[in-house]
Amino acid sequence: MFQKVLVANRGEIALRVIRACKELGVRTLAVYSEADVDSLHVQLADEAICIGAAPSLESYLKIDRIMSAAEIGDVDAIHPGYGFLAENPHFVEVCESCNIKFIGPSSRAMQSMGDKNAARAAARKVGVPVTPGSDGIVETEEEAMKIARKLGYPVMIKAAGGGGGRGMRAAHNEPSLKSAFHGARHEAQKAFGNDQVYLEKLIVNPRHIEFQIMADRHGRTIHLGERDCSIQRRNQKVIEECPSPVMTPGLRRKMGNAAVKLAKSVGYENAGTIEFLLDRDRHFYFMEMNTRIQVEHPVTEEVYGCDLVKEQIRIAAGESLSPHVARAEPRLHAIECRINAEDAANNFQATPGRIDFYYAPGGRGVRIDSHVYTGYTVPPYYDSLIAKIITVGATRINAIDRMRRALDEYYITGIKTTVPFHAAMMRDTDFREGNYDTGFIDRLISAGKLNLTSRPLRLHE
Amino acid sequence: MKKHDLSVFEIEKEGFRLKLQRGGSASQAATTAPAAAGGPDRGPVAAAGPPPPAAKAIETVPMKEIVSPMVGTFYLAASPDTPPFVQVGKPVTEDSVVCIIEAMKVMNEIKAETSGVIAEVLAENGKPVQFGQALFRVR
Repeated sequence: MFQKVLVANRGEIALRVIRACKELGVRTLAVYSEADVDSLHVQLADEAICIGAAPSLESYLKIDRIMSAAEIGDVDAIHPGYGFLAENPHFVEVCESCNIKFIGPSSRAMQSMGDKNAARAAARKVGVPVTPGSDGIVETEEEAMKIARKLGYPVMIKAAGGGGGRGMRAAHNEPSLKSAFHGARHEAQKAFGNDQVYLEKLIVNPRHIEFQIMADRHGRTIHLGERDCSIQRRNQKVIEECPSPVMTPGLRRKMGNAAVKLAKSVGYENAGTIEFLLDRDRHFYFMEMNTRIQVEHPVTEEVYGCDLVKEQIRIAAGESLSPHVARAEPRLHAIECRINAEDAANNFQATPGRIDFYYAPGGRGVRIDSHVYTGYTVPPYYDSLIAKIITVGATRINAIDRMRRALDEYYITGIKTTVPFHAAMMRDTDFREGNYDTGFIDRLISAGKLNLTSRPLRLHE
Repeated sequence: MKKHDLSVFEIEKEGFRLKLQRGGSASQAATTAPAAAGGPDRGPVAAAGPPPPAAKAIETVPMKEIVSPMVGTFYLAASPDTPPFVQVGKPVTEDSVVCIIEAMKVMNEIKAETSGVIAEVLAENGKPVQFGQALFRVR
């Protein structure tokens, strides 16, 4: 087992990693920007080193400063969290050349699945169905038009070097294809420094179903079931659940086997997630792979009874897949709501600032993964996620009603949060019936049907 | 100081320097250049106390700090057998090399980027420094 791990991230995931390390008896070194001096994870870490000014480009993305901190701190391994450098193969290579273990896949495996277009090719190679699309990069608008005609509209133009819902443009007919093609390339260049795009048939109103992969360094690769992440706003996940309300044991077996086969074929190691789209006819198509731990990993943990981050650290340290993880079966139902510092009543505008008072819900079956506290100032430089609330129940409806109960206790003042949005969702009939797809939230919002309710507590501040 | 019958009182603290001499009426304390938050010690920055009343401040000089632009190990000299780049009392200009910070086996010469006279060496030779950590105080 490692002696010391450097946590190359911030916010709730840095706290998550530090908690796992502490439980394993591993010392922690936090690296932080000047904006995160008062962050909870910085105080809980055994050691902390400031690596730069607030903007991510000047701190959390500075590979040289992180490696320098790793050298000074004499760490054995680095956990990258999610975002930032978590899916940067060059960073993995630097760790490899410095003999510091990167807690995740090898740079080669990350590279082969990180390029979205190459990942599709890898899937095709092992017979995993992919969304019908171009055979590779589409260079010209003439080529795009030809391919789109063959696939049939609507189509999606996607960035090969991208992910997280960015660098994508839909085209519903031929007249709009040209501008969508150039628009996607332009956005991809700006977001990822790479304007290569490919085409995919746009599957109308799919469900987004992803499978959790865990692979050790001794040739054992398993899946830990699925998460349904169809509740998205502008391609960003907001609510996730495990298991998916539409999954059957047979479909889980098929999709799970496909996910494992694909991960094995690229020599994948550690935690990863294979994302599929499920259409109305219950056909599944490989979309992309995320070569890191994901934000929504807690719902899998609660249902399969395991600690995925600890397992990541164990596997990176060379241990075999833990027996209880290898034979885990799904029990219970879990839901996660992402609480963002955003004003749900005002087009989800970001609301950084000081949290004057913070009271989190508790009770049976309620889990809060959050780094915030009363008096904490949410900085404007990073993402707006301030907390994840996860509820577990014997059935799906139990988990939903528990979430509804818990959200009514969640009291945060000083900033606006998306708690009222989630409270409305737990009361929404379609959501409660499991009747939704990736277009659900956007439709609800544009139809003005979002019924924001909050029954605030009055707590002495 | 003999119940305000001061003769000379001089103090140099976080970001300011104050010199008092026996004088007449109102006192004045000038504090400038707030202390940087850097340093591995994450304790609160000590606040300067109020000046003694019925004394007149004669001389207040703002202090500047040279802070680390990177993460690494701080060295006062280029090598163990060469003299240090600066010491207390040495005048510096913006381009004066004041120290070395070693990061990943690369020796980086750090420039003063300010002008004045070295008043205090804050970082310890051979010890790690972090981004933003105060290395020298300059008068």
